[in-house]
Amino acid sequence: MTETVSAITAGRRLHPVPVRIMHWINVVAMFVMVTSGWGIYDDYVIIRGFAFPDAVRLGDGAESSLLWHFAGMWLLMLNGLSYLIYGFATGRFRERLLPIRIRDIVETIRETLRFHLAHEDLTTYNAVQKLLYIIVILAGISQVVTGLAIWKPVQFSQLVSLLGGFQSARIIHFLGMAVIVGFVLVHVALAILVPRTLWAMLTGGPTLKPAAGRQSMVQS
Amino acid sequence: MKSLFRPDQIPDAAILDNHRPLLRSLERRNFLRGGLSLGALSLLTGCDTSRPEAIESALRAISDMNDGVQQLLFNPNKLAPEYPESMVLNPPKFNAKYDVMSVKPVDPATWKLELAGRIEQKKPWTLPEIAALPKKSMIIRHICVEGWDYIGQWSGVPLRAFLERVGADLSAKYVAFKTADDYPSSIDMATALHPQTLLALDYANAPLGDPFGFPLRLRMATKLGYKNPKWVTAIEVTNTYSGGYWEKRGFSWFAGL
Amino acid sequence: MSPTGALAQSREPGGMPPPDGMSLAQSAAMRFPQSVRVGDLIGRAVLQPVVTRRAYGTVKQVVRAADGTVNLIVDYGGFLGFGARPIAIPVDATVLVGVEIGVVAYKPEDLDKLPAFSEGGATPLPADSSIKVGLAKPFH
Repeated sequence: MTETVSAITAGRRLHPVPVRIMHWINVVAMFVMVTSGWGIYDDYVIIRGFAFPDAVRLGDGAESSLLWHFAGMWLLMLNGLSYLIYGFATGRFRERLLPIRIRDIVETIRETLRFHLAHEDLTTYNAVQKLLYIIVILAGISQVVTGLAIWKPVQFSQLVSLLGGFQSARIIHFLGMAVIVGFVLVHVALAILVPRTLWAMLTGGPTLKPAAGRQSMVQS
Repeated sequence: MKSLFRPDQIPDAAILDNHRPLLRSLERRNFLRGGLSLGALSLLTGCDTSRPEAIESALRAISDMNDGVQQLLFNPNKLAPEYPESMVLNPPKFNAKYDVMSVKPVDPATWKLELAGRIEQKKPWTLPEIAALPKKSMIIRHICVEGWDYIGQWSGVPLRAFLERVGADLSAKYVAFKTADDYPSSIDMATALHPQTLLALDYANAPLGDPFGFPLRLRMATKLGYKNPKWVTAIEVTNTYSGGYWEKRGFSWFAGL
Repeated sequence: MSPTGALAQSREPGGMPPPDGMSLAQSAAMRFPQSVRVGDLIGRAVLQPVVTRRAYGTVKQVVRAADGTVNLIVDYGGFLGFGARPIAIPVDATVLVGVEIGVVAYKPEDLDKLPAFSEGGATPLPADSSIKVGLAKPFH
């Protein structure tokens, strides 16, 4: 009994299996959505003179990119929803991403610019990390909302109005993609700089201390 | 990168007849090869990339499922927003699967609207006969699958009123259209009966111009632009799915807004 | 794709110059010219024949030259607003593309050779008057 209980409280990993599964599914889903989205964008560019080259587009024409986009959206939405439910229900979001204080963000930026960013303890996210994860989660939700608006501008006409009209919703959808791609570039660069983080997302990472507020259930 | 909406050259129709089997196999090869770009394939290790046909048909199957979802999301009572006359683009934006020089104007004196399928009175209609029916005008947003849009004003006979008048079976699944420029399109009955689905005769209070579908085009407010055929010559009410010009190339059939 | 954007959909770079022996007016007449209000043309983007929606500039004026031809005055060339000069593009060399205008009968090299537009002898058309402009399927 005591062993089992201590296994529950002592064996919690930084990235439990569900988190790891959802993370890597999300990598595939976001890749499909972004690269097929680029293919759709090219059919009527938003930035005059700027089109994505063929090599980075998923689908060799608009009809193909659209097929990928409307298939990938299910994977993104179902996996994303699972992640949100998991994050709130298990307290993971509260534990990992909060609190964030402005002075912590400033301090982290200073340390980064001095190349002094601490990375021995993977189990504590620094303030900028927390902020970026919150931003990318919000950006993902925004992509789904703006995506639904431009997919169904009549059925969701009130939503389109809130977003400033059809072309405005389209532009916000494009900007959300830019935020996500920006995040991915930073995220991947840092994971490469600190490869233990990548290993942690594959195998679970270090064991966590029991969460604050949870009583130890080990019996004497 | 070129969109399939605009081939470089329009083949002479006779060539198509002679080489139809070859053209079909060429189209199919472009399709299969074209489903994915090489760079993107490298990360999709779970997929059998030696058989792109499987990927293409999986994507199409999901698109068909999405058509069902779109049908569920379609509220037959929800009207598309309408706009003030000051926002109407005149002349409207021309678009077709060929350039404007290839538009073949229709002779209104000899044009007839043929009717077929589950319709009681199949007598063809002349233009004056249709023009005599009560008309409705609407100022709505045309949205193209490519991403552009404009505000246009169309007026004509509500398709619902026309179907009721000719004794069409309104419980049938599809309404299909044939056109003078060989651009078939078919829609679901629920959309056909929507108040903002018109057999349009006029644009901005004047008869449709030749490049814009004279004498009659379908104009819906709840579907993407490519679902609205111009130069309509025939309407069929049917329970048989017939797809449409762009659906063959992988675009969604329901294509609802 | 080239850095300047892919070529337009028609075979000829620069659009479709009239075949030999055909005048600009004749080639424009093949494009189902439509009446458009002159005032609606002011400020419209004038598109290059590329798929990426690049524009030469915008329509500043619509004028009738001394010889009767109708021209669109467009600020051409330059960089970020510096060094552009107004040129007169015959309206028969252009097409309406939705809310924009496309140049089909002149290649960029031809536009380079057009002299800077000078006001003398040209009459601006009233905003509420109409002119006829041909159509083309969109370049994008």
